[in-house]
Amino acid sequence: MPGFLITALWGAILSGISLAIFAPYVTLRKISYLGEALSHVAFAGIAIGIITGMNLNLAAMIFVSGIAWGISWLSRHQKLQEANTITIFLSLSMALGIILISLSRSYSFDLPSYLFGNVLLIQKGEVWALGALSIINTLYVLFFYKELFYLSYNPEMAKVFRIRTALAERLFYLLLAINIVLNLKSAGIILVTAQLILPAVIAFNIVRRLHFAILMSIATAIFTALVGFGLSYQLNLPTGATIVICQGLLYGISFFLKRRV
Amino acid sequence: MIQIKDLNYQIADKDILQNIQLEIPKGVFAAIIGPNGAGKSTLIKLIMGLIPLQTGEIHISGKAQADWLKEHNFGYLPQREEFDRDFPATALDIVLMGIAGSIPLGRRCKASHKAKALAVMQKCGIKEKAQSFIGTLSGGEFQRVMLARAILSDSPYLILDEPEAGIDKVGVKSFFALLKELNEEGKTIISISHDLHTLSEYCSFLICLNRSLHCHTEMDLVNAEMIQKTFGETIRLIEKDY
Repeated sequence: MPGFLITALWGAILSGISLAIFAPYVTLRKISYLGEALSHVAFAGIAIGIITGMNLNLAAMIFVSGIAWGISWLSRHQKLQEANTITIFLSLSMALGIILISLSRSYSFDLPSYLFGNVLLIQKGEVWALGALSIINTLYVLFFYKELFYLSYNPEMAKVFRIRTALAERLFYLLLAINIVLNLKSAGIILVTAQLILPAVIAFNIVRRLHFAILMSIATAIFTALVGFGLSYQLNLPTGATIVICQGLLYGISFFLKRRV
Repeated sequence: MIQIKDLNYQIADKDILQNIQLEIPKGVFAAIIGPNGAGKSTLIKLIMGLIPLQTGEIHISGKAQADWLKEHNFGYLPQREEFDRDFPATALDIVLMGIAGSIPLGRRCKASHKAKALAVMQKCGIKEKAQSFIGTLSGGEFQRVMLARAILSDSPYLILDEPEAGIDKVGVKSFFALLKELNEEGKTIISISHDLHTLSEYCSFLICLNRSLHCHTEMDLVNAEMIQKTFGETIRLIEKDY
């Protein structure tokens, strides 16, 4: 197998693992739309990077983290419904991104690659970054396990019983933003959302406890990355989309196997 | 003791609570009564710091509310707890929530915490449901799980918002009997309730609220006139039970 394919395969696996660790919390907190919105918000971040000449990933990361924090703050303090706040930021960011890209007159910007992702373009350094991110995500989930659990259950009651969820929540939004931005190249803006939901939904169809669901979500991501990568290579299909189709099929199977309470 | 001075609260320019001056002595079993929309739930949420004060002061055990809340919490049983019935938590997980705030970051609940939680669940008559997922519990069972969580938090104050909701008549009696036992062990209990008959049997202190305070006194000193002022037209129903 050519070296770039091995790098790409590692990229697909680690991209899946990093998002799969977060997926159960995104599902339990019912904020999958936030993942989708932030992946679109990243578009404006990338446009800012192009205009300012900054590293695109870094520009997108700073911008998306800021917006994620802004959404969380506005929802908590300004009594705006989270869905409305997110829609406002999503529309404004996409509009800003389109204006900035048109102003930059950058013909080298490969928009389809950021929309749909292309894991075959991933570099070794980016694979290392995804590996490091997977480790950071794991440590974060292990360290804040009980805080994240009760925050996902009911944030108001977590506050009543003085469970220290504030730091866990701030880091959650920051890490979610970093995960989305770093996964854009392999999964693309459109497919990051699917990767943030499907592995967890499949897992919760099969197991009940959260820790098993996290493990099952990771296993699903690895399995579908391997199968999807193999199929896309054999059938000459786009890798990211093939991985998501594999997850969709697994979701269908898990739906029929769904445990009964 | 909980002391409330000059408390006013408005939502969209509408008075929810007006000029509340209230002292709830330590160790009482206090009931807050009043018609729907009287501001009862708002009052207890203000006491617990769940909604910010607009005007007035609250002191708890001699300390300003904000200072007291830095080191303590209330044992709270809400009227209705919003949760997803598919949420992957057992009854024991929810009871352990009461103690989770005292466990340092990065640490999990130990066997000793679980043993303590199970002992409280036994007291609340819900131990056999410890490993059941919360989506499978009945309303009454979940009410007892929430009470066990409030007790496990080891707060000197238990605050309950209509604890009889979702429990049958026999269940209400044993529920209040358990609360009375906890009160005799030294906990100050503040409960919103509509069940005046049960309240008269178990409570020692009555707070009549209808946006402003109509009475706050020992249960023995309460008379029908005070209740009438609080409830207005519904007095005949109350007199029957009282």
